Amino acid sequence: MDVTNLTITAFQEGLRAKRFSAEEAVRAFFDFIETKDKEIGAFVRLTKDRALSRAKKVDVDFSEGRPLHSLAGVPLAIKDNILIEGEVASAGSRMLQYHRAQYDATVTRRLTNQDAVFLGVTNMDEFAMGSSTESSAFQTTKNPRDLERVPGGSSGGSAAAVGAHMALGALGSDTGGSIRQPAAFCGVVGLKPTYGAVSRHGLIAMASSLDQIGPFAKTVEDVAILFEAIRGFDLYDATSVETSQESTFPIDASRTPEFSIGLPREYFSGSMDPAVERALQKAIDVFRAKGITIKEVSLPHTKYAVSCYYIIMPAEVSSNLARFDGLRYGAAPDAIPSTLSLLARYLHNRGAGFGDEVKRRILLGTFVLSSGYYDAYYAKAQKVRRLITDDFARVFEDVDMLLTPVTPTLPFRIGEKINDPLSMYLSDIFTIPTNLAGLPALSLPVRGIEGLPVGFQLIGKPFREADILRCGAWYEHVA
Amino acid sequence: MSSLDRTLLTHLAGLSRIELDPSHEEKLLRNLQDILVHFEELNGIDTALVLPMTGGTLRENVLREDTPHVLPLGDFENLRRVFPEEQDGYLSVPNVLPKQP
Repeated sequence: MDVTNLTITAFQEGLRAKRFSAEEAVRAFFDFIETKDKEIGAFVRLTKDRALSRAKKVDVDFSEGRPLHSLAGVPLAIKDNILIEGEVASAGSRMLQYHRAQYDATVTRRLTNQDAVFLGVTNMDEFAMGSSTESSAFQTTKNPRDLERVPGGSSGGSAAAVGAHMALGALGSDTGGSIRQPAAFCGVVGLKPTYGAVSRHGLIAMASSLDQIGPFAKTVEDVAILFEAIRGFDLYDATSVETSQESTFPIDASRTPEFSIGLPREYFSGSMDPAVERALQKAIDVFRAKGITIKEVSLPHTKYAVSCYYIIMPAEVSSNLARFDGLRYGAAPDAIPSTLSLLARYLHNRGAGFGDEVKRRILLGTFVLSSGYYDAYYAKAQKVRRLITDDFARVFEDVDMLLTPVTPTLPFRIGEKINDPLSMYLSDIFTIPTNLAGLPALSLPVRGIEGLPVGFQLIGKPFREADILRCGAWYEHVA
Repeated sequence: MSSLDRTLLTHLAGLSRIELDPSHEEKLLRNLQDILVHFEELNGIDTALVLPMTGGTLRENVLREDTPHVLPLGDFENLRRVFPEEQDGYLSVPNVLPKQP
């Protein structure tokens, strides 16, 4: 049996039916990764000993009649900015290439408590800054659907691992679209939860008012399984929230959902590639054909979202990355004489340890927070953020969720945008507003199209992941 | 809104504690200037009566019980091994005091 082509749900059934053992399955994944990842480059480090140890434990538990946890033996990949105790967590950066995590992130602890297996750590844009995974200090990851194209970013490694069947699921992080966009580019499902739904404890912070950890998988149901395992209040994250929302799993995908869906006109104003536009229309037609209420709505401040985000996010980045000086969190990238002054060591270590995109964003953030510019940029952007958030609140009085594109383009070629940062930033236009407003959003592939994958996005009300997951699962069932 | 010149870039690099590669400075400056030009679109919005949104959550004053709580951070030996430099069992840190004349 080829376990790599299973879904999480099918894996759980197969394991319990003794069609394979957890150890057999995990070894099969590593055998496959050994050849497949040579062409994809999704993983930066494999955690083989840890994975096999966990798999053996699952097999022993099962053979001794103990009940299996929900994710027992399920092979997952974890983004390089989420801590796994004892493993290197480098956030795609030379600055942290020797940094070994001293504790588990809450999400990895929760997955471990369910006996999930971590196959390895996946490639990402450095410190989650990018939309293509090209700014990783270590390697380039290829899109499994076209090896000359990017997998998206910054969670490109996680998306590619799932898209290439090298893992049944993965974790990523999403600050401006870094789960949803690579999910769309690689033809898999990705969920950015509501801000506060999932603990950020143990996530190497990029922009703390925007970051969220979320799952990738091959199906919406699998994403719901992973989300259930990681969500909920955490004592170590004061922004995390325990909600009384219903469980998101299991999902009855056969029942037509009774939701109304809004199409924001600003997202369909002709700024997409024709292929993306055609695919989106195909997805919308599925909902219409089945009698789902579709309404046009307006989010008038959408066009300001990129500017707003690229002021607020770098400001928070400049603060969060101030701690990385090459003197803590592992050794500096290059040895320099210790006789230099402390200031000289900071300047050198940060100049050598950070890549160009990270430096660009730190400088931008320092600028917008500095005296004389704070009011015109940062304070202004905070107000625009309020307007963007209020736009969503207003339309959600009228509809239950929104359907939008994820990206304006198909996956672009490796090297195409890396020298034009503004062009890269503008490609985040459809995902950024959701982060600014802290809303949940699901990216899933449009079905029935040929060629490169196209994703569409369902944006839900705060803490209504159950709604968008149910709607997404139903779409998978009928499309 | 203001544009960025080389003097300001040098000042920002100092504030950020980042040593810039002189061969990359011109391109970096151009990129940042292009980005700042794009930000000028925000001048077109009237935000005089808008309250700023200062974070990602509406939660305030999240408290816990005032009792001792041991964080599960692993033993000290693990933490010590992460420290980049040590000497004779002591953790070595850079000199933070300026040299005396």
